[in-house]
Amino acid sequence: MQPDSIFVITAAVVVAVILASAATHKLRAPARFANQVEDYQLLPRALVRPVSRLVPFVEVAVAFALLVPASRHIAALAAAALLAGYALAIGINLWRGRRDIDCGCAGPEQAQPIRPVLLARNAVLVSLALVASLAPHSRELGFFDGFVVIAAAAVALLVYAAADGLMANAPRLLKLIGR
Amino acid sequence: MEALIVSNVLLWCLLIALAFAVMGLVRQIGVLHGRLAPAGALMVDKGVAVNEPAPQVTAADRHGRPVNFGYAGEKAQLLFFLSPTCPICKSLLPAIKSIAKAQADRLDVIYVSDGDMDAQKALIAEHNLEDATYVVGPEVGMTYQIGKLPYAALVDKAGVLRSKGLVNSREHLDSLFEVEHLGSATLQQYLHNHTHSHGAHNH
Repeated sequence: MQPDSIFVITAAVVVAVILASAATHKLRAPARFANQVEDYQLLPRALVRPVSRLVPFVEVAVAFALLVPASRHIAALAAAALLAGYALAIGINLWRGRRDIDCGCAGPEQAQPIRPVLLARNAVLVSLALVASLAPHSRELGFFDGFVVIAAAAVALLVYAAADGLMANAPRLLKLIGR
Repeated sequence: MEALIVSNVLLWCLLIALAFAVMGLVRQIGVLHGRLAPAGALMVDKGVAVNEPAPQVTAADRHGRPVNFGYAGEKAQLLFFLSPTCPICKSLLPAIKSIAKAQADRLDVIYVSDGDMDAQKALIAEHNLEDATYVVGPEVGMTYQIGKLPYAALVDKAGVLRSKGLVNSREHLDSLFEVEHLGSATLQQYLHNHTHSHGAHNH
């Protein structure tokens, strides 16, 4: 199946921006991110620091590679693996019953405990990355196609930010109505 | 074809604007959640039970005139326990004064404090409380078992203690009147009972 270039490029841009913004949060507060990695209790103590240093750079590298057509396929698969790995980490901790740890998904103002809905969110992101990894149906791209790619990516990112905000608000709302 | 492209561009622009608006709304809800979290005056001790007759005590105000606490009278009483050494008490005084002014026809506000008289006088001068009923002495605080400040208690016309609690903000103060209206001891208790009765309906 060969989707139109617009779908592939838009998906690549969206995943790249999400990864890049996640990386900036991690680079700006490395100590906080290291604590979050430790909280997940998946790595031996000696590996926590090096891994938490390395992850943001991997994210930035994948984000840039997604924007270059030649490396898009590999980078999209890498992004899918990365996001699936995060989902796995959340899933393992949910299975352990540790629902009170911070997800560490977005910036400090979006702190939220891990919940099954975050697995669904990561599944959506993984499928987006997989769309970006497909080989597009080749055709001449005009100026208007460029506009559509940028506009669609902007809408997708804004909707993603809104959905993320709603998910971060949900536990606070439940607390407010006393459940 | 030209018209279709124009309409498409227009739709994309409007869709982006709409997505911005939705994201802005979600952010605003987040900010509201951040500001809203703690509500309701805290009841930290047992002391005197709410919705029971308030303990009756008479104490002299700072001019030596007797003031009755907990007796049935023409107006409800709001007792505000404060101290000149407590900064949060001072930050609440404007709110107390505005409540006293707004509800002057049904509510007597009585300030109760204890300790050094010079410090009391400085506080009274600073906050323009010359005309207010201001009691200095330990009797009332001990009768009502006040352990923490700033504390407020609301006694209705019949001399029944309607609500009480540690008050740290204007919202806490307002919650005292809210629970008087709702007939519960504290807002927390009202919310608890409310969700319970809801649960009972569901099951």
